[in-house]
Amino acid sequence: MLEVDNIHVNYGRLQALRGVSLSVREGEIVCVVGPNGAGKSTTLGAIAGGVTPHAGRITLRGQSLGGLPPEAVARLGVSLVPEGRHVFGSLTVAENLRIGTFQRRDRAAVAADFERILEHFPRLRERLQQPAGRLSGGEQQMLVIGRALMTRPRLVMVDEPSLGLAPKIVDQVYDILIKLRHAANLTLLINEQSSERVLKFADRIYVMRGGRIHLEDRAANLQDGKAIMQAYFGFADGTGAPPPLSPAPTMKRAAE
Amino acid sequence: MIGFLQNLIDALSLGSLYALAALGIGLLFGILRLTNFAHGDFISFGAYALIVPSLEVTATKFIGNWPWYLTLPAIAALVVLLALLSDFLVFRKLRQASAPTLMIASFAVGYVIQNVILMVYGARPKAIDVWSSLQQQVVIGELRVPQLQLVTIGITIVLMLGLSLFLNRTSYGVQMRAAAEDFRMARYLGVKANFVIGLAFAISGLLAAMVSLLFVSQTGTLSYVMGVPLMLFAFIATVIGGMGSLIGAVIGGFAVGFVSVMCQAYLPEELRSFRDAFVFAIVIAVLIFRPSGLIPTKALVQRV
Repeated sequence: MLEVDNIHVNYGRLQALRGVSLSVREGEIVCVVGPNGAGKSTTLGAIAGGVTPHAGRITLRGQSLGGLPPEAVARLGVSLVPEGRHVFGSLTVAENLRIGTFQRRDRAAVAADFERILEHFPRLRERLQQPAGRLSGGEQQMLVIGRALMTRPRLVMVDEPSLGLAPKIVDQVYDILIKLRHAANLTLLINEQSSERVLKFADRIYVMRGGRIHLEDRAANLQDGKAIMQAYFGFADGTGAPPPLSPAPTMKRAAE
Repeated sequence: MIGFLQNLIDALSLGSLYALAALGIGLLFGILRLTNFAHGDFISFGAYALIVPSLEVTATKFIGNWPWYLTLPAIAALVVLLALLSDFLVFRKLRQASAPTLMIASFAVGYVIQNVILMVYGARPKAIDVWSSLQQQVVIGELRVPQLQLVTIGITIVLMLGLSLFLNRTSYGVQMRAAAEDFRMARYLGVKANFVIGLAFAISGLLAAMVSLLFVSQTGTLSYVMGVPLMLFAFIATVIGGMGSLIGAVIGGFAVGFVSVMCQAYLPEELRSFRDAFVFAIVIAVLIFRPSGLIPTKALVQRV
């Protein structure tokens, strides 16, 4: 469904992505795991049209996304839930949910989707007319996922859904994502810093570090976590201990 | 007491003009981070569009001679066109530019408009009388109020209600508010950037057109720099109100109008010619105590 082929992204002189390739098949849950500054968010941003790669190709069902603005990519059925939630704080919860539906013509289906999403997120129904800025962090995360789904996406990309949330809330968020995947027939591409949780439900996992993909495999083959550790930290021997004299990899926050 | 009421109506009417101009500036700032210093020149253009283009000293009215229900939409359409044109020719090329770059570009647009007016209409101010019948006074008890002031206040109320309905009740309005808050996120959700920005320019042009008509019928003169002081006070109004907040712009506009009229009325005679200095001193005082304006917004926080 989605093919990312050898993309390079620079921020000024900083190379954020140095040739990233990945693919997502229809109906899959694919997770990109990697430390802060690895280029995970940049990868999603490039797919969504918010960041322009200076080399490489991105295609969605055979159609090139190169040079399309974010709104055009969104209309092709790709919805990005960026890191840090980004609710429209002064808009009501209901307005937040409806933002992504204004380009849709099927009014009846929009109303049906609205109901369906409120069934998944009963907390939001209680707060429909409140400004979204007043919701708790967990509720905001629910809102941005619901808001993304209102665009009727085929591919939903979620950037670090667990960031800044209590573990219990994170469990809820993932429960809902997985439930929705079956209910709405979604394909999911998820970024996380930690592989622990995603190993339980992902179909395939990519490990990213320093702007490159260092490992790609089916989650079933990675359950012991050794290979992930090795790729994640770049240890040569896979013992879980850092090599004594190699310099620490420089990670730049700006890459996010 | 009557004197104070009279001043209050003056303040409301002057504040209305500032508030309308400030709304036009605040709208573009909210969405684009553009401080549009060409807004004053949009206003001048709207006023000059009333007369036949010529270098002669006396103005010959053209659109200004039409009945008001034709003059209003005609001037509005012309200024909206100018606003859209300046977006299309200049600001659209600068979408990735920083806020200071945009501001400087807006100075350039303003200078171009000013100098085109200068070339086409000449540098000398021209007298023009538009809707002079509105200068008649309405007597309410002991108050004598020029009809024009009531019309100004009335039009301002109508425009503000209209804008507020538009922003809150229509899908385009909701998209504009979302874009003003987090432009990138709005685009990730399919909101068309150029469309929303164009809409903001159009509304800003419409507001400028109304200010031109009200202002020129108050002053009765045309000058190629007539919009500059209005722009200055409107800009100050948006800063006091809190850049990016529309309610703030309106409150700021009325506040500046109020302070200005009250300084004019109650300062000792010999200090009155320094009225603006007093107004600006009060502005500085407000900003010392509330640096991000009366209604602070997140708009000033740098977006990553």
